[in-house]
Amino acid sequence: MGIGLAYAWVIAPVRYVDTSPNTLRSDFKDSFRTVIAASYAATHNLDRARARLSLLGDADPVQALTAQAQRMLAAGDSFQVIQNVARLASDLQAGESAGVPASPHPPSSTSSPIPTVSTTAAPSFTPASTPTETATDTEPPPTAVPIVTATARPSATPIPTAAAPFELVSREEICNSNLTSGLMQVSVLDRHRHQMPGIKIDISWAGGEETFFTGYKPEIAAGYADYVMQPGVLYAVRVAGAGSPITDLTAPACPDTGGESYMGGLKLVFQQP
Amino acid sequence: MRSWVIALIAGLAGIAAGVAYGWVINPVKFVDTTPASLRADFRTDYVLMVAEAYHSDHDPELAARRLAVFGSEPPATISGAALNTAGDVGYAPNDVVLLQELSRAMQAYQPAVPTAGSTP
Repeated sequence: MGIGLAYAWVIAPVRYVDTSPNTLRSDFKDSFRTVIAASYAATHNLDRARARLSLLGDADPVQALTAQAQRMLAAGDSFQVIQNVARLASDLQAGESAGVPASPHPPSSTSSPIPTVSTTAAPSFTPASTPTETATDTEPPPTAVPIVTATARPSATPIPTAAAPFELVSREEICNSNLTSGLMQVSVLDRHRHQMPGIKIDISWAGGEETFFTGYKPEIAAGYADYVMQPGVLYAVRVAGAGSPITDLTAPACPDTGGESYMGGLKLVFQQP
Repeated sequence: MRSWVIALIAGLAGIAAGVAYGWVINPVKFVDTTPASLRADFRTDYVLMVAEAYHSDHDPELAARRLAVFGSEPPATISGAALNTAGDVGYAPNDVVLLQELSRAMQAYQPAVPTAGSTP
């Protein structure tokens, strides 16, 4: 038995080949989703992106993309890359809500076939040819690749420039006793009405100001953020540090069924022109 | 029956039981693999995605970094192998053109070399 283990672990350790994307380590799956999103941003081929995402084996690809966008946002990744991922999630969600099935579509006659994961054939493994390889089946993370370490990652500010201020396209008073009192709900969209995560929102009032960002509640929407207003306080909101602030925002008084009133909320939608 | 026959039968039965356990009852589960171990058609599709993005952004450094998930092979080698596989499995002509474009860019691409004293 000892001889067998020595052969299996030292002389000819297992080396996996012909695996499928659903077996990848989670950080490599993130890399795959990023490239799928970049490809989708270039081609706008949603069926192909959906088929490729299905190879990763995520139970809910939209949720996986949204969660990844949040991780990238927290890690300070490039805004363009995050936007690609968030846009693919948004478009997938829109496609599914429009009745497009979630299963991969057959490629069109002008597209190359997307490889599929066989459910019966397991990945094969072959003995390593050299005895100097270690017995572990894990490999160094991608940061160890010389190309990655030799070149600095381009950085981009997550804040849109002042040349593209956001406009308030919708302002609605919300009277819903089930919501938090004084809840200001903000949605930020690009010019194509796609949700935009990572957008800075400045809110100020007499004697104070605060800053918050969209994208921290992906379960609602990638471009969503909210703030709890205090009663009787007038607020001013500015999106992405550009354009004129929207002033005189305050929580409305809403009547309840008993003739009393309670503090309602506001729903603001900003969009790039 | 001779004792060595019994031992032989017992050994074969043990091997059969081990194989049945390893292949049917509790087969190997592959997790946490790396892109380098992907099947050739999956690798080629990944490279095609990189090519599609490159066709839009024309950023060879970004494309090379995306191809670096496959390991330390030069990006030109990776894209060239994908181009060969694409021809073998019958990719659509427009996709082959994209892979050719990426392959040419990767052959011309020279990674930036950090200068002495620069931050690694």
